[in-house]
Amino acid sequence: MLKVLKNLVDDIGACMMFLRDMIRTGIRTPCTWEAVCVQIWKVTVQSLPTTMMAGFFVGAIMTVQFTMQIKAFGALGYLGGLATSATVREVGPLLIAFLLSGKVGAFTSAELGTMRVTEQIDAIRCLGANPLQEIILPRFLGIVISSFILLAAGLLMSIFGGLILGAFFAGINPEEYIRHIPTIVSKFSIYSGLFKCLVFAMILASVCTYKGYTATGGAKGVGRAVVSTAVMTMVGIVVSDWLTSLLSETTLVLFRGDLF
Amino acid sequence: MTAVADFSVYLLRSLKETFTPPYRYKDIMSQLEFVSWQSLPVILFCVSFAAIVTIMESSFHMKLVVQNDALVPGFAALLILRELGAVISALLLTSRVGAGLAAEVGSMQVTEQIDALRMLGIDPVRFLVVPRFLACIAGGFLLSLIANLVCLYCAMLVSELSLGYSPGAFLTGMRAFVDFQDLIFATIKGATFGAVIPLVSCFFGFRCKSGAEGVGLATTNSVVVSSVAIIVLDFVLTYIFSHFY
Repeated sequence: MLKVLKNLVDDIGACMMFLRDMIRTGIRTPCTWEAVCVQIWKVTVQSLPTTMMAGFFVGAIMTVQFTMQIKAFGALGYLGGLATSATVREVGPLLIAFLLSGKVGAFTSAELGTMRVTEQIDAIRCLGANPLQEIILPRFLGIVISSFILLAAGLLMSIFGGLILGAFFAGINPEEYIRHIPTIVSKFSIYSGLFKCLVFAMILASVCTYKGYTATGGAKGVGRAVVSTAVMTMVGIVVSDWLTSLLSETTLVLFRGDLF
Repeated sequence: MTAVADFSVYLLRSLKETFTPPYRYKDIMSQLEFVSWQSLPVILFCVSFAAIVTIMESSFHMKLVVQNDALVPGFAALLILRELGAVISALLLTSRVGAGLAAEVGSMQVTEQIDALRMLGIDPVRFLVVPRFLACIAGGFLLSLIANLVCLYCAMLVSELSLGYSPGAFLTGMRAFVDFQDLIFATIKGATFGAVIPLVSCFFGFRCKSGAEGVGLATTNSVVVSSVAIIVLDFVLTYIFSHFY
């Protein structure tokens, strides 16, 4: 038990130091925009269809669940606002993070791990280039930036799914559904959702690049890196979900009225 | 299109093999240990944090719409039992167990161990898929039961600490919204999601091609397809169960 805890703390610390090195490299010797754009394109195109499909169904689930609750209060008019608010603040960023950690996180750590165990990373260093700048930084930035694009697509699809299910399941006019969204979803909710997405994407990107970069011991080691990436990102995402919720609630209490 | 056709043939075959005895109980039990016991700590950890977030978020929305948070325990318990408990544990299982199974079966395919099984006259579907399938159904059932109960317990703890509801008030508020049948539906959901994971990952493992890269591709594909399938099935099950309340 104590050993597991020690390993966990070690991992978190090493990951933080890796992130610090990466940021330092990014400030001193930034990578080219072309490399970042290639990564953004790769990540976005890979995950766009799954994200949109998952977003549609999540919106539909939220609507069905909220309908059953709200009906008892006779407040079906709020359905659009409540379902969208829950998706924007909480479920959307979480969903994007889970999907990305399954697809992009696993792929990136497997790719970097294979590069490490086949000594391609050492070869890059031998050529006088900095592997952090040449291969890690573009992937990190690519994952972080494209998570926002995916979040936008997922949220739009979830509103669409909620709209359709609201019309068929709850019998709510689509126009009414949309008109009630701005009454509940405040500017602050959108900022808090975006902040959550940023935090999740940074955790995901730093964990998967770190685990891939430090993989050791052949093909088995790559497999181990992939599995531990998945577990560590999930745990990190859930914990930071709590932390960011706490932060946004505190901010809301401090600035109540100013941001609404 | 061919992938869909292949998958339905494979699905029918594995279902047929599942219902033909004899079963290898030792194998099923060792898989069950891998699926449920070894995933239990991480699932319980994540689920308890999810409970905290649920309480906080539902109190935020309640204050926004009905101006007080008296109904938060009931609402949170309802969200946990109907959606969160089963879905979060299933998504975590996908990334832990699904990835592991796909990598295992995929590397067996790449190193021609599956062809060797076939040579020996052993049906790979019967030998590999059936024990994992049964173990994952049982594991999904048990894990969703435990995860739901722990999640509810954590929600009770948090609503006492941060909102000031005593456990008794929480339970009373909960009873107004949820019933025992919700727990049954949640375990049905968990067992269904558990059934999806080994079917999809073994399917991608069998189709895995060309070396280490193929194994990686099979792993990521199986995780993505099973998480999307879990979300879609969740929608279907929610829709079906909504007629029983």
